Amino acid sequence: MTASTQTLRQGPSLYRRLYGFGSVFAKAMRDSRRATIVAGLLLAVTFLGVAGAVVKQFDTPASRDEMVALIKSLPPVLAGLGGKITDNLGTMGGYLQYKYGTFFPMVLTLWSILALSGTLASEAQRGSLDVLAATGLSRRRIALEKLFGHLVPMGIVLLITFISIAIAGQAYPVLPGDEISVSSAFAYTVWLGFIALAGGALAFALGPFVGRGGAAGVAGFVTFAGFITSGYQQAIPAMEPIAKLTWWGWTYNHTALSGQYDWPPVLLVGVLVVVLLAFGVEAFVRRDIGSTSAIPVPRMPQFLLGLGGPIGRAAGANLGAAIWWGLGIGFFGITMGSASRGFMDQLRDSPAFMHLLQTAFPGIDYASAGGFLQLLFVEFGVILAGLAAATFISGWASDETSGRLEMVLATPLSRLRWALGSGVGLVIDVVVFLAITIAGIAIGVASSGSDVSTPATGALILGIYAIALVGIGMLVGGWLRTSWAAAAVVIFLVLTWFVQLLGPLLGLPDVLQDLALTSHFGQPMVGAWDVPGAIGALVLGVAGIGLGALGFARRDLRR
Amino acid sequence: MPPVIQAEKLTKYYGTYRGIIDVDLEVNEGEAFGFLGPNGAGKTTMIRTLLDHIRPTSGKASIFGIDTTTDPVAIHRRLGYLPGEFALYDKLTGGQTLEYFANLRGGVDKAYQASLVQRLDVDPSRRFREYSKGNKQKVGLIIALQHRPDLLLLDEPTSGLDPLIQQVFYEVIREAKAEGRTVFLSSHILSEVEKTCDRVAIIREGKLARVDRTESLRDLAHHTVELVFAGPVPATEFEQLPGVSDVSSDNHVLRMRVSGNIAAVVRAAAKYDLSDFISREPSLEETFLAEYGKAGEAAQAVEAGAR
Repeated sequence: MTASTQTLRQGPSLYRRLYGFGSVFAKAMRDSRRATIVAGLLLAVTFLGVAGAVVKQFDTPASRDEMVALIKSLPPVLAGLGGKITDNLGTMGGYLQYKYGTFFPMVLTLWSILALSGTLASEAQRGSLDVLAATGLSRRRIALEKLFGHLVPMGIVLLITFISIAIAGQAYPVLPGDEISVSSAFAYTVWLGFIALAGGALAFALGPFVGRGGAAGVAGFVTFAGFITSGYQQAIPAMEPIAKLTWWGWTYNHTALSGQYDWPPVLLVGVLVVVLLAFGVEAFVRRDIGSTSAIPVPRMPQFLLGLGGPIGRAAGANLGAAIWWGLGIGFFGITMGSASRGFMDQLRDSPAFMHLLQTAFPGIDYASAGGFLQLLFVEFGVILAGLAAATFISGWASDETSGRLEMVLATPLSRLRWALGSGVGLVIDVVVFLAITIAGIAIGVASSGSDVSTPATGALILGIYAIALVGIGMLVGGWLRTSWAAAAVVIFLVLTWFVQLLGPLLGLPDVLQDLALTSHFGQPMVGAWDVPGAIGALVLGVAGIGLGALGFARRDLRR
Repeated sequence: MPPVIQAEKLTKYYGTYRGIIDVDLEVNEGEAFGFLGPNGAGKTTMIRTLLDHIRPTSGKASIFGIDTTTDPVAIHRRLGYLPGEFALYDKLTGGQTLEYFANLRGGVDKAYQASLVQRLDVDPSRRFREYSKGNKQKVGLIIALQHRPDLLLLDEPTSGLDPLIQQVFYEVIREAKAEGRTVFLSSHILSEVEKTCDRVAIIREGKLARVDRTESLRDLAHHTVELVFAGPVPATEFEQLPGVSDVSSDNHVLRMRVSGNIAAVVRAAAKYDLSDFISREPSLEETFLAEYGKAGEAAQAVEAGAR
């Protein structure tokens, strides 16, 4: 045997088998590197930064009492999007559990759903799995390696979270009871991991049957519905049976950062995760590769497909997404609108909080459906509207990234006309999703017997925000790369949301805090519009579309 | 009459990566022009530059006398294009896809469109994502052909087509030529270009290596011939035949390389008791290596020496 043959027979190094192109697992690890870094940094910065800021701001027993009084003065329904209020709310652990404890599982769940719904299903869809499965690796091995290619990065993020909480829990305490024990940090991290993986595991199990889109959609819906119903079960008892259907409701009493554990349901979630993941692996092993059954949805009528030109095509291509987003956010609007009656009753029973609101926002009637929606719906609503805009931008970008534009722009259609037409088409999609959303809000508010016109008009802010983000996406796509456009929208959305959420706590400069578009919209659901802010957002959207189109007309078409 | 396509010193770099370098080319009205080259030679870059999908780094090109970067829409109005790799709208049916592109152009003869659908055997009721690779290619071809363009830019058009449909395609190209339309066809399949084109350009590493009549390809092309004799091998007789080189014998088998017409070898072989006659046409890649590889290497060596 020659030396060269011996060299050829040597496999990749251990490092390459763990990271890079030495194995399916290594490539999956490499593919996850950015998400791992972002998620790890996000959790570490938040726990280390926010925990420090909180104890610094409330560093006396008196200030803690004030903070607790303020939170407890909120009607229970207003606290629904936070975590459970525990007895030791005035401690660092209790506050973190309430304010951020349930938020991070949502972030990690989204990552897990996106990763596990696509790791096999999207590869099967684009055909690369056929090639991979013909390399001599068994399907079970491929599935397991890909699965562990997500589990290990998730484990790394959880480890970072655990260390961050443990450090913050020991280094920051200023008052008795502030300490977060290592066992509490561990208990929270385990819960966080299981909750995050439950959504991902559901998507992984469904992927071989319904494909990536369907799997991610179902898992996302279950996760979001679980999060909302679990958060509101205390305020709206009718939601409790629904909340108990998901892992969010099962583990409602496991508030580890505040030192309270409820291990049996957490372990049950762990078992569910293992079962779903095993089911997903077996389904992949036994079923035909790439053979999925689409979740049946009615076909779009021909006249809505937009075959007449670029405006219609851009609108038609995203119309399905616009309708689904509208139905989703509209359903949220119906739920919130119809729950507003309970809120108004509770607010009338909380004169201290009512007084606080009237002092802060004189002349605005928060004891109304609009007031409830302003306090509870809009913050999440704009995030969802932003994600809808990112979806539309992604659909627009796929014209170039998929190669369709090669043929479309070989017709007598100028690039400028295509880009501007597409922009108008995306605005039409925003209008569609907005109309459905407003209809949902109107139905919900009307069912509570309140004034419909003010909150329905106020909901226009979701569309204005979405148009602004469409403009940002087209600007990035037009001048740089369309493949970066949707990511740019999501990054802008998340960053500005974090700036708005954490800016005051972290003491960020006003210039940075002003970057959040949503801080310039006023209180539209109660009729108090920040008109210059809203017009500015619209101008940003229109200018982004126009400038993006100009940029697109000037650069090379990419493939 | 001015050329339909004219390129002068046309150059495209992608950052530091080479696309095409100093390409000078003219394609006349009514001719079918083949653009041959191995993978990565710059064929697709040339076509995308002509379409203004990408802008030249230097040099210029015109189609129908219009600068490609000045008024691409006016050019696009008169051409049909099939990319080498493309995607279309997965959720639309083949029929809806054709309708959309017909609407973008306007003036498409529905009867002609229907005849193409029938001749290329496309089921227009199926969604694009459900088509096989070959059927997707057929839809792309119909999009390029349905408006009877003055110029057809086709990048590897028969990729994925079965032999029967390939014949239909060649027929359609012949019809287009007969109607005085111009065809620019990029390919790496020698026989395809021979069947359809009047002239051919060969591109290698971004530079035009040769532009000539298609007949000249026959000089470029060669066959590897293997003769199996029942008796002794008459090697000497074959060595003296025109176009024959690299003759070698092994037991009763005689192997040789034949450039140009193979008739003399067939006539000579017919005089003997043959057990087998095997003739293989090499791939274009092999032909290029044989014809241009050594020259290219030699030129590179000279350049390196000069440095």
